[in-house]
Amino acid sequence: MKRQIPLIIVITLGFMFVAHTFIPHKASVAFYDWWVSWSKAISPFAVILGIMSLTMVHGTKISRKAPNWQYSALTLFALVFTGASGFIWGTSEGTPFMWLFKNVQMPMGSTMFSLLAFHIASAAYKAFRARSAEATVLLIAAIIVMLGQVPLGMAISKWIPETSSWILNVPNLAAKRGIALGVGLGMTATSLKILLGIERTYLGGGD
Amino acid sequence: MSNIVPFFEKMQALDRRYIYLVVALAIIIPLLIPFNSKTYVTEPTANVYKMIDSYAGRSDRAILLSFSHDASTMAELTPMEVAILRHCFQRKVKVFTLCFMPAASPLMDYALNIAKEDYDVQDGIDYCNFGYKPYGLFLPILLGMGDDIAEIVETDAQGRKISNLPIMTDITNYNEMNLVVDFAASSAVYSWIVYARARYGVNVAAGITAVMAADNYPYLQTGQLVGMLSGLKGAAEYEKLVDVFATHKNPDGTIGRSYSKEILQESWIKLSDVDKRVYKTARIGMNAQTVAHVMIIVFIILGNIGFFLSKKKKEQEMM
Repeated sequence: MKRQIPLIIVITLGFMFVAHTFIPHKASVAFYDWWVSWSKAISPFAVILGIMSLTMVHGTKISRKAPNWQYSALTLFALVFTGASGFIWGTSEGTPFMWLFKNVQMPMGSTMFSLLAFHIASAAYKAFRARSAEATVLLIAAIIVMLGQVPLGMAISKWIPETSSWILNVPNLAAKRGIALGVGLGMTATSLKILLGIERTYLGGGD
Repeated sequence: MSNIVPFFEKMQALDRRYIYLVVALAIIIPLLIPFNSKTYVTEPTANVYKMIDSYAGRSDRAILLSFSHDASTMAELTPMEVAILRHCFQRKVKVFTLCFMPAASPLMDYALNIAKEDYDVQDGIDYCNFGYKPYGLFLPILLGMGDDIAEIVETDAQGRKISNLPIMTDITNYNEMNLVVDFAASSAVYSWIVYARARYGVNVAAGITAVMAADNYPYLQTGQLVGMLSGLKGAAEYEKLVDVFATHKNPDGTIGRSYSKEILQESWIKLSDVDKRVYKTARIGMNAQTVAHVMIIVFIILGNIGFFLSKKKKEQEMM
């Protein structure tokens, strides 16, 4: 029963949504409106579930004094403190919440993303080698696109941004479209398998 | 030749911390000492500008800015958000903001606060922040706005009922709020293309990080995306468009002029001509990006020279 009931819900609702998309009947619209109101009611519970999950995972680590448990304590403290500052003083400009966002969240987030530049430079130097014909084509294309993305490319020659644009609009586009078609067909096939009850891995293992 | 080979062999084994140091300097120095470089506007960016500009002064047209990113990609995306908001405020285009990520909510306030500083605009009249909506409501809201925005979104970020706000006069659904610009470091824009564009015919544009830009070219070619701002470069291009056209001071004292390719090609705006640093953030950032790209290209060339010299030496030793 633990597997059959979720399976029945998924299949029934799946077909109802397919019907709603293709049949603009009054009953179909009413069903959709009913679902929207339920979605709004369900969403806050997802937040509660997330907080519970985070608290349980990190609470267990702290109680067991697992390696690096101090980070878990810091995570829970940040969760409570940030949430409380938002509830007490609001989230508008000039509040502690916004101060935390600007002085903690923004620099930390930017730092993480900016590491990419260092890794790309290091990887380019250590690993980007013209070992074969294919690698050479990739290397030349990368150099042209990199130059084409900055004003220097145009300053050197009009040909550089034009070639960069051609690389992005023709070979890149062809490859991306091929991947998109493959993904689209895969998604359609998987959706059909879920609707027909053939694909059941989303239910998890065991009974 | 015999002196060069050991040098490149040493360079091949160079500690990566030296590379990090060079990259750090290549980025920090141009940011501290900005230099003028010409910004060339590409067609996808110009198309976004032209579409927004066509809504100028119309009460029955509005645009929606969807913030689908967190603070990590602010460096690339915030300058384009600020530039588009400035354009809207300057040209009296109604603008709505919305996000489905909790981390994006302060980013909307941040961009709005920067952009509105020099303009006499009022929340609820000239712009409206719909605020954060849970991701579970993404699809219902995205589709629901095709029928009635006020009904599905209900309240704005301040809890006010949207249907009561003056900005909603003449605005009902995607027929009026006819352009959605999604700012993302992911493929979030596809949902707008698949559902809002396909079902309701709304125009969709993307403001996206440079690493994700290549993924969107198929949608640009088919016209499913009316335009795209690609990374910091796209933001710098939009900043230039706002300076050249939207905020241009005419001899008769009026502000703003229509888009013209000829004027754009002739225009040269120096960084010193723009008063506020926040209005030229992307163009200053492009200086750092230029130097960083050149550094990476130099690294690639040096690495390959070393590779070929070592290979040649090994071949000679084998013989």
